[in-house]
Amino acid sequence: MLMEDLSEAGCLVVSLKEKRLDAVIAASFREAMVARIDQGHRNIVLDMSQVSFMDSSGLGAVVYVLKHLGHTGRLHICGVTPGVMAVLKLTRMDRVFKTFDTRQAAIAA
Amino acid sequence: MNPHAPLRLVVPATLLDARAATERIVGLCDRFNTQDRADYATAVMEWLVNVVKHSYAHAPASEIRICAIAGPEAIELMVEDSGQGMAPWKFDAAPSALDFDATDITKLPESGMGLAIIKSVMDSVRYHSDCGVNRLIAVRRWQR
Repeated sequence: MLMEDLSEAGCLVVSLKEKRLDAVIAASFREAMVARIDQGHRNIVLDMSQVSFMDSSGLGAVVYVLKHLGHTGRLHICGVTPGVMAVLKLTRMDRVFKTFDTRQAAIAA
Repeated sequence: MNPHAPLRLVVPATLLDARAATERIVGLCDRFNTQDRADYATAVMEWLVNVVKHSYAHAPASEIRICAIAGPEAIELMVEDSGQGMAPWKFDAAPSALDFDATDITKLPESGMGLAIIKSVMDSVRYHSDCGVNRLIAVRRWQR
C-alpha cells in the first residue's frame, strides 16, 4: 500500500496513493495510520484525492483511526472523490467526518 | 436496448477476486449516472466481501458463482456460494448499523454496515439458502 507523508503547519498530511480503499487493503491502512498516531501525530489530514472507490471495510478502517485519535486528536479528510462521498453518504458518516475540497483548507481548519 | 450479454463468472473466494468481479459487473452499468454507479459498485463489493469473509470464513479454497443481467429496466444480480451462509431471517431482520449517534465517536460502527448499504442501494433483495447453496438475488433499476 502506498502512502506519502508531508508535515505542514503542524499537521501530518497523509496522501493515500491507491485507487481503492477496500477490504483488500483496509487492515494494512489501519495499521499504518495507527503507527503514525502512536508516534505522536495528533493532527492529521488524510488526502484521498487519488481514491476513487471505498467500501465499508475501508470506511471502518478510517473510523478506527478516528477512534484511536480520540477527542484530543483531529482527523480531517480532503480530496473526497464521488466514489468516496457515495459511501460516506450511504452510511451517514458524512455527519461524522469533516471533509474539505483542498489540502490547504483542511490544514487551515 | 442494452447491448450487454449476461455476465456469468465463477471466481475464487478471495478479496482480490471479489474486487475484480465487482469491476466486471460494474462494467455492465453504463446506464447509471456517476453517483448511482458508485453506489452500485459499493453494494456489489459489500456482498462479495461478505461471502469471502463470513460465508467462507472456514473454507478459504472455495468459489463464488455470479450471474449479472443488464435488462432494459434494471440490472439483476445473482450471487451463489456454498459456505455457511446466514439464516434468511437474520438477513431480513438484521438491525441497521447506521443508526448511530454521530456525536459519540466511541460508538461509531466499524463493521456491519455492508448489509445496510446493500438494502439501501438495491430496489429489491432476496436471500435464501437451500440444499447447501446460499443465493442472493438483487435488482436495481437504472432510474429511480
